[in-house]
Amino acid sequence: MKRRADQQPGFVLHSYPYRETSLIVEAFTRRFGRIALLARGARRPRSAMRGVLLSFQPLRLGWSGGELANLVSAEWAAALQPLAGLALMCGFYLNELILRLVPREDPHEGLFDVYAESLARLSVGAPHAAVLRSFERRLLAELGYAPLLERDAASRPIDPARLYVYEPDRGPAPANGAASGELAVSGRTLLDMAKDDYTRPETRDEARALMRALIGERLHGQSLYTRAVLLELNGL
Amino acid sequence: MDKSGVPTARGLDRLLEALRVLPGVGPRSAQRMAYHLLQHDRAGAEQLAGALAAALAGVRRCARCNNFTEDEICPLCRSPRRDASLLCVVETPADLATVEQTQSFSGMYFVLMGRLSPLDGVGPRDVGLDRLLERATDGVVQEVILATNFTNEGEATAHYIAEMLRARNVKASRIARGVPLGGELEFVDIGTISQAMIDRRTL
Ligand SMILES: [Zn+2]
Repeated sequence: MKRRADQQPGFVLHSYPYRETSLIVEAFTRRFGRIALLARGARRPRSAMRGVLLSFQPLRLGWSGGELANLVSAEWAAALQPLAGLALMCGFYLNELILRLVPREDPHEGLFDVYAESLARLSVGAPHAAVLRSFERRLLAELGYAPLLERDAASRPIDPARLYVYEPDRGPAPANGAASGELAVSGRTLLDMAKDDYTRPETRDEARALMRALIGERLHGQSLYTRAVLLELNGL
Repeated sequence: MDKSGVPTARGLDRLLEALRVLPGVGPRSAQRMAYHLLQHDRAGAEQLAGALAAALAGVRRCARCNNFTEDEICPLCRSPRRDASLLCVVETPADLATVEQTQSFSGMYFVLMGRLSPLDGVGPRDVGLDRLLERATDGVVQEVILATNFTNEGEATAHYIAEMLRARNVKASRIARGVPLGGELEFVDIGTISQAMIDRRTL
């Protein structure tokens, strides 16, 4: 990693207490990707960084040093209405996806921009499903696993009236007769997803199941904390 | 043997390992503490060992507020002078002590002993939300005041508690946030001023 950087657009994805008064900050920066930074003294009561190093807030970060660089500056870069309620849970979910799937020090400028835009949309109350699905799709594409949505596995155009079974490694294959399960998806839904159009309830349901399965493939069977916590909350 | 090849006692090794369970204590601080206790303050060490054993045996969670106590129900929850219709939810015993210091609140408490932290896998049952719901719907509590921290995790915790209480027809309120008392805008952090602007009120 570059030893010194100033005024880098970035977000805090998560942070952990470190020693008595410090924090390890998992940051997502535009130019350098996901990096870990040591914020010395950031947990002291009077630390100026305390009110700044918050997730979902556009920041400008400066750091210096090698493997675990020292965070030297963190500034508020733009005012975003803070996420609240379910939008806040969606924000945690996006952060967990990045933490689990994007390798450290691998720049993804396009994904960074989509992430920033997704937070901005969540903060003004955009429908969650549309924001999450288009982010997931972009994330998979950045990792080299862009879902095939406009053509089937044999490169034929998707027929909106047909039912498909999505084979994770190959793409959608026309279903013979009845198909069910999270990988069964209508042609119409695939085409809606290609346009990021989630106005149809059926599209939302099928797309959620499909993306969950495709992201599950990339997680190699590990489950997501944010999903488990949300399930448990809904059960209370 | 330690890294430098100096032979060490097994009891000392165990003590070093034991001290490292404390938050923020790494190998070097553990070594400093252990040497201090064994070399300079053996009486203090005795006292520490005794206090720790006694606390482990005697201290438990209050059945009503979840705070540490030696009784089934703690003195604060038993006090007839407290207003049982108000319930203030805080993250930690330290937060409870801080609210108590203000002397501006005369109701009851519930201590979560944490906060929802989805990214760390800390869910509602880990912070006793099921027990809080039971406590808040006893028919006596009229209003639940959410005094969790103003972090994203604290906000998520407050939001979900409020939702669950609303579904059960219990009033929930959130403590206000803003510029500190006596604070001059010039010296207040940007995040706080930005929030204060969003949370502004009509005069
Ligand atoms: Zn009590």
